[in-house]
Amino acid sequence: MIELTGITKTYGKGENLFTALDNIDLTIPDATVVAVVGKSGSGKSTMMHIMSGLDRPTTGVVTVNGRKLQDLSKKELDKFRAQEISFIFQSFFVQGNDSCYDNVSLPLEIAGLPRAERPGRIAAALESVELTDKTKQKAKNLSGGQKQRLAIARAIAGRPKILFADEPTGNLDTATGAIVEKLLFDYARDNKATLVIVTHDQDLANKCQMQIYVKDGKITEVKQ
Amino acid sequence: MKRIDIARRAARNLKQAKIRTLLTALAISVGAFTLTLSLAIGAGTREYFAKFLETNVNPQSLFVVADKNLVGFSGGNSDPKEYDPNAASFGGGASYKTLGESDLTKIRANKNISGVQPNYNLQATYFTYQGNTKKFTGSIMMYDKMIRGEAAAGKLPLLGQMIGADDVVVPESYLKALGVNKPADAIGKTITVRVTQPVKKLSETELQNIYAAGGLDALAAVTQGKTKDVTFTISAVAAKPATALGDTNQLAISDTKAHELTDFTTEGTAQYQRYLGAVAMVKDGVKPENAKAELEKSGYVVKTARDLQGILFTVVNVVQGIVAGFGVLALLASVFGIINTQYISVLERTGQIGLMKALGMSGRAIGKLFRYEAAWIGFLGAILGALGGIGLGTLLNPWISRKMSLGAGSHLLIFQPLPICLLILALVLVAIVAGWFPSRKAARLDPIEALRTE
Repeated sequence: MIELTGITKTYGKGENLFTALDNIDLTIPDATVVAVVGKSGSGKSTMMHIMSGLDRPTTGVVTVNGRKLQDLSKKELDKFRAQEISFIFQSFFVQGNDSCYDNVSLPLEIAGLPRAERPGRIAAALESVELTDKTKQKAKNLSGGQKQRLAIARAIAGRPKILFADEPTGNLDTATGAIVEKLLFDYARDNKATLVIVTHDQDLANKCQMQIYVKDGKITEVKQ
Repeated sequence: MKRIDIARRAARNLKQAKIRTLLTALAISVGAFTLTLSLAIGAGTREYFAKFLETNVNPQSLFVVADKNLVGFSGGNSDPKEYDPNAASFGGGASYKTLGESDLTKIRANKNISGVQPNYNLQATYFTYQGNTKKFTGSIMMYDKMIRGEAAAGKLPLLGQMIGADDVVVPESYLKALGVNKPADAIGKTITVRVTQPVKKLSETELQNIYAAGGLDALAAVTQGKTKDVTFTISAVAAKPATALGDTNQLAISDTKAHELTDFTTEGTAQYQRYLGAVAMVKDGVKPENAKAELEKSGYVVKTARDLQGILFTVVNVVQGIVAGFGVLALLASVFGIINTQYISVLERTGQIGLMKALGMSGRAIGKLFRYEAAWIGFLGAILGALGGIGLGTLLNPWISRKMSLGAGSHLLIFQPLPICLLILALVLVAIVAGWFPSRKAARLDPIEALRTE
């Protein structure tokens, strides 16, 4: 469960003060697929950063799986991100010069998974996104859709309970976007994981169990 | 994240930028190359000098002087000094404390010492070579029985033995000027040395008395200075010295003749029977160090053969230091190379760093990743440079040995595995230090900013 209580995030000071999030209260139950919908600059990305511990709120409390993120040390926060959550980004952030295998291996290494357990996990992750035949290929030789599938494999290899996807289909055509969407939904369903998709794509949002509409740092509507 | 995983990722990142890695490493390798050679020169020369002293200098000999400025490399101090009636001026205005006959007697009387030989400072007016009318100037010294040179022709006595009283040893380098073609041709020929006694300063009354007693001829005799010709037979031609140590670029005569001629040329001067230094022989069974301590108590400055080695080693250290200095300069330049490369690499990989941070990689681990990359570059450069140095040195060694006539089996460059391994390790550390600044930049990168870049 992700709980935001009285979350405010501001940047700058005095006349330059900019409020990205304004007193937000929100609860996302476990194993829910959520869309955070809003235009660029609405504060939806900041909301995702705060929920994932990448950014800290100016005021307010974030509770993820029963733990208050503000109470965690830097080290504990890193561990939390490495073991419990993962990310998918609009621009993939796969490492082009590395093989698909090494790309997927990265989060497992960061999480400190014993070496012997890695190959099985990596193979399983690549298989679930149907990239087994590309295992040894360099990521830069993949197509856009394949790159995002690789990013999904990397995100799910560590079997996180929460998956954040920031405009996952934003750089893809409709057909490949649909494949990526299906992969994400399947993972959330099969693993009872929470999936938070940040998007401005209404069609994608409609496929989610819960839609949170954000505008000018405030939640305007929550649909279940 | 485990150290080994970081190191593997670092190595892989470098492999993906092969040319950049290689070029950066090459900068370090120049420093590594020079430092490897400087290590080899140091090791080689030290070993050569040690071998040379072992075979050529009697370990039981002590070098005794009265003035500490004469040993070591402080050189002659030409600042004005308080007048000392026992000090003698030897050229260039430098004045040194000297040893007198009484000092020699005192040293000789020491229970540890079996004999003393002063160093004569012989000034000859000129010398001539048999069958050649030309007059030559050149330095003449006493034959040094403690250092055995090599003969190009004729025979040199064994270490510790003096040449015959009327013998002279001619350096090979003199032969051309003397008009001798083959060293062997000079053996048995004679060399005549002319020495002049300095003119005595006489008072007017003394001059009048001499004139009254012996007339004009007697007066001329005292004012012109007495001369003396001594003829020697060439017993050996000394080969060109392998090192500057065996400075045989002088005519060498026996101790008795050197004594006789020095006394003649210095009679009536402040230098008469005063010597800059002497060689004392320590009795067998007595440690030179103990005898040295004993003599130093009496106020003499004493150097053992081992001290002499130390002095030579300081020369080696200076030469080695200069070569190493160039290496360090090259290294310094390469440090900026690493900083530059790694810094650009951090900027290029902002997105990657942001992703790693988002996935929970700590700033420390990311810093480590970049430092390990720098370490790999340093390691690669050090290995390349060291191998280059060893390769070139091994190729050139025979040629250098031949050019410097070091003798078979002696090499100027000796590559010892341990110092080279330590050097490589040191260079890796230098590279890590150089990588510290960019790695800190990477470690402190804000992941949100970084993820926004692509």
